[in-house]
Amino acid sequence: MRLFRWLLAASCMWATATLADPPRGYPFVGFDAGLKAARASNKPIFLYFGRYGCAWCELTNKKTFSNASLKKLYLDNYELVYVDAESGKRLTLPSGERITEAELGVRLQAFATPLFVYLTPQGDKIMRIPGFKTVQDFRDYDRYVRGGHYQQKTLLEFLGGKS
Amino acid sequence: MTWLLMVLAWPVQAAWTWSEALTVNSVQGAAVFPHLESANRQGVAVSDDTVGVAWEDNRDGGPQCYLSTKSAGTTTFAPEIRLSQSECYEPVVVALGGGRFVVAWEEAGQVHARVLPDGAVIRLSQAESAQVTLATGAGKLYAAWAERAGKFHRIVVAQLALTEDGLSVRFAQPVEARVPKDGQSWPALAVAGDGSVTVAWEDRRARHTVPMVSHSRDGRRFTMPVRLSDKKSESVEGLGAGSGAMRTTLSAWGKQGVAAAWLDKRDFLAGYDVYAALDGGKRRFGRNLVVQDSFGDSMTQWHAQIVGDRQGRLLAVWDDARDGSPDVWLADWNGKAFGDNEGVPAASGPGAQSDPVATLDAAGRLHLVWLDRDEATGTRIRYARAVRK
Repeated sequence: MRLFRWLLAASCMWATATLADPPRGYPFVGFDAGLKAARASNKPIFLYFGRYGCAWCELTNKKTFSNASLKKLYLDNYELVYVDAESGKRLTLPSGERITEAELGVRLQAFATPLFVYLTPQGDKIMRIPGFKTVQDFRDYDRYVRGGHYQQKTLLEFLGGKS
Repeated sequence: MTWLLMVLAWPVQAAWTWSEALTVNSVQGAAVFPHLESANRQGVAVSDDTVGVAWEDNRDGGPQCYLSTKSAGTTTFAPEIRLSQSECYEPVVVALGGGRFVVAWEEAGQVHARVLPDGAVIRLSQAESAQVTLATGAGKLYAAWAERAGKFHRIVVAQLALTEDGLSVRFAQPVEARVPKDGQSWPALAVAGDGSVTVAWEDRRARHTVPMVSHSRDGRRFTMPVRLSDKKSESVEGLGAGSGAMRTTLSAWGKQGVAAAWLDKRDFLAGYDVYAALDGGKRRFGRNLVVQDSFGDSMTQWHAQIVGDRQGRLLAVWDDARDGSPDVWLADWNGKAFGDNEGVPAASGPGAQSDPVATLDAAGRLHLVWLDRDEATGTRIRYARAVRK
């Protein structure tokens, strides 16, 4: 809680009327386009499950996704997908089922936003990460995913090994 | 301590006695995906003793909408009728008398309606439109939908008339005349006993999703929209714009009342909760009420619907996974609060039972329909009827 308050207080200098849409400058696309692109490029999918007006999403956008090297890392190595937690926009799951973006939240058991989901190029879930995360967190997740460590270790085991 | 454990272990007294569950959809399979999602969750209706269930599935290669009925005295649902010719979503059904129904749906980007069993299909709007819903009451039939106006959609309400060959649109107009500056979606509609119309929807003008509501005495002139939620959430120290809320449902309730329920994320650590509000007839909703009990409070609730009738019965249904997997739950309004949550026996236990839609018939019997998901064998649409003990 103290950390949350500190982060909120520290971020006041960036406070603007901007909202919790995808971070600026990132070429996020919809789920269907992202899955199609991933199958073609064989890159994993980085799915940002956000919510219109979400404070934590905006905090993550400003504190974390503003980092230029992190941006390059994710642009170079992932297909970027943004899903709106309350939207009725439709998407097609790898199974062929058509559901709304909001319903995807049900399937992902998304109790909070932002929720970050890493998927294989075929759309299979690798892991889901809820809440605000730092630049270093996303670098660690990238090593875990693109290094294929998720096939042998849990994320906790992997991160424990790092230290 | 022993006393406390006994209290905690004591089963909640079930208020409803349930019939054996029936399967509604005749076609199932691992690659067939039925959905009961619709604006105001109007997926089941009862006309006299005939039950009608509307849904969408992809058995024919793409999403199409279907209706199946079960007549009084029969123990199975009749083979479904396909309602649509091209890509179809989110069908709704309401009852007319004499075993007849009105169904509405989105097809090829526009909203349509039809009287069943023998009416012609009409298009409700020429504009791009979606998320249609229907409501009847005081001898009137209304529809509402989200219709594109400029960059965004806005809510349109129409009065429909029964004609020799089915339906016609008597009038249709937006709740607000001005072109919206942000999105409006998922309308819910109720016609109170005095004939007034209440419409609620998801609204993003506050830069986050807020359930808004408006009333009309005649279905033509609507009051200035106001928030349904009594907690005016705002940005947190300059970040974001407020908490989320979605999928408002409405039901006529009692002689002149209207009840509402929606998913609300004001307690952001527990995901969406079910909140409700009641309007006893003054066309003003009271304070917000928490619907799920303390056992479900830390869980995320989904697919909530408020269900009322003219006799004043009121309950809410939804699904949550408090017992480890999604189950269907209900809570009765006891006059002061929503009571202990009651699991639906046939919609509980291993596997995923979710997406409830429900209605009360004239005798006060509860008709419940839900999805029973099985990835290997396919999803069944299930139906059960309950009587209050």
